[in-house]
Amino acid sequence: MSVLGANFRRDMEIRRYPLLVYTLVPLAALVLQAWLPRVLGNYAWFDLPLVVTVYFALGRRSPIQGTLMGAAMGLFEDALSHHAIGVNGIAKTAVGFLAASVGVRIDVENRTIRLILNFLLSLLSSAIIVFTYRVLLGLDLEWQWFTELFRAIGNSLIAMVLFPLLDRLQIRE
Amino acid sequence: MESLFARYRNLIVLLAILLVQIMGLAVQVRRTNEGRRTVDPRDTPGVRLIRLWAEALVAPPERGIESAKMAAIHTWQNYADLRHVREQNQDLQKTIDRLRLEQASLLEDARQGERLQALLDFQHRYIYSTLAAQAIGSSGSDQSRVFYLDKGSNSGLKPDMAVITSDGIVGKVRDVFSSTAQVLVINDQTSGAGVILETTRTRGILTGNAAGQLEVVNILADERIKAGEKVLTAGGDLVFPRGLPVGEVEKVVRDPDRDGFIDVIVRPAAHLNRLDEVLVITNTQPRFSPEQQQDLATSESVAGAEAAAIKDQLKASQIMAERLPGLIDPSLPPEQQPLLDTSNPVPVAHPPMALHPDRFTPGADAVTPSDANNNQKPDFSEKPTTGKPQTAKPETAKPGRTPQ
Repeated sequence: MSVLGANFRRDMEIRRYPLLVYTLVPLAALVLQAWLPRVLGNYAWFDLPLVVTVYFALGRRSPIQGTLMGAAMGLFEDALSHHAIGVNGIAKTAVGFLAASVGVRIDVENRTIRLILNFLLSLLSSAIIVFTYRVLLGLDLEWQWFTELFRAIGNSLIAMVLFPLLDRLQIRE
Repeated sequence: MESLFARYRNLIVLLAILLVQIMGLAVQVRRTNEGRRTVDPRDTPGVRLIRLWAEALVAPPERGIESAKMAAIHTWQNYADLRHVREQNQDLQKTIDRLRLEQASLLEDARQGERLQALLDFQHRYIYSTLAAQAIGSSGSDQSRVFYLDKGSNSGLKPDMAVITSDGIVGKVRDVFSSTAQVLVINDQTSGAGVILETTRTRGILTGNAAGQLEVVNILADERIKAGEKVLTAGGDLVFPRGLPVGEVEKVVRDPDRDGFIDVIVRPAAHLNRLDEVLVITNTQPRFSPEQQQDLATSESVAGAEAAAIKDQLKASQIMAERLPGLIDPSLPPEQQPLLDTSNPVPVAHPPMALHPDRFTPGADAVTPSDANNNQKPDFSEKPTTGKPQTAKPETAKPGRTPQ
């Protein structure tokens, strides 16, 4: 129960990072997301921009910053594809907002919580993308639920490794 | 009002950003003639700008990573090559001795190689113009099967150019930037190419499915289509030239949406998931060397001269025909017509005399039926000056004999 409680999280300090981290880490996520599928083929079950969005949203604990970060990452991801720009943007905007909102209320230092959060937010992102395509835009989109499940698991595993590494980059006073 | 905004600031920002993106999406979607909704393939200037920014941001690091990868592979290969070099040197010394003995036979192979090279050069003169390019990145999403090339409009690439490898077709250039280009792979769900099955000559549309497989859709059920049949481009889509290999039939499944139709799953000939170097067909017109172009121009000019000569001949013959005298001259009286002129040294040919003249024979008015039954031998002599057939003279015929 100690991990829950809004007042507890509000008292926690807000993480700060060097400007270089704010620019290079999202850029690296976008580049690797574009490059790694060439190496891994159909087994690229991850979404690095989503993981990075969740990390910064949880760390900054600011819904507005999480929203803006998610929107930017999603729009750039859309721009690299040939699909309509905004589908990933909407999904990651919502994910960034939710992650930051959750980060205010629970202890995100806990690894298990990070794992579960990434898994759930990945599934939510996939669901929003499918919803946007099929319902909002009325487009034909075939998708496979197990691929989205594998992607959520892959994001969770990457987050378990990546989050501690990124924690070391924060500015400690 | 201010306190309301401050209280719901986060939610207001979220809704505003979502609203802007939804409006942006609405602008990009249009309705086709068949009533289906689809993403407009032509980007608006704003969308194009965003794509340009993303490409400018991501492509240089991707290019760097690719170069680093190639350098690492090269370094590792060099290291691997240097290992065991001493043993290899000894083996090579022995190999040199053996190769000297084989040199004589190799000379003949070299001559054959020269001939084959000449043949290959001849073949190269007739294939399409291509440009080699390196794949440097992808979209990062399995919903969007595209990848990026390290060549762009600066190298002459244009949208809708076909991208191939030596194994088969890969996709088509979708978007071109200054130094990069985006290629839509044929196994994308929005991709399409006209194909034909090699044996059954069945035509269909090749597209990708959700699993990244190739499938030929809109085909009526046909039991002749079997696994292993080769699939080629049909050439009707104005992107891929006809006859390029696409792959081979992997299996045939029923179309879940329509009875009587099947989907043909195709195993791609090119390795679509492991693409490094590809060729972009930059021109579908056959290339001709300067000598061939000169030959073509010469042949066209010769053909034109021959046509002019034939025309002149026809004109001359018409003039000659007008100048030659006719058989009936309207300016002369009937008895002086050239047709009745007996002074012509070359008589007009007449049909031979009938062996058994009867009352139907021309000029046989005086022959009676009893005369015709006498079986007398006719006289085949004729008078050329009269110009008329002569009747038979029966006085020399011997009774009891029939003419043969």
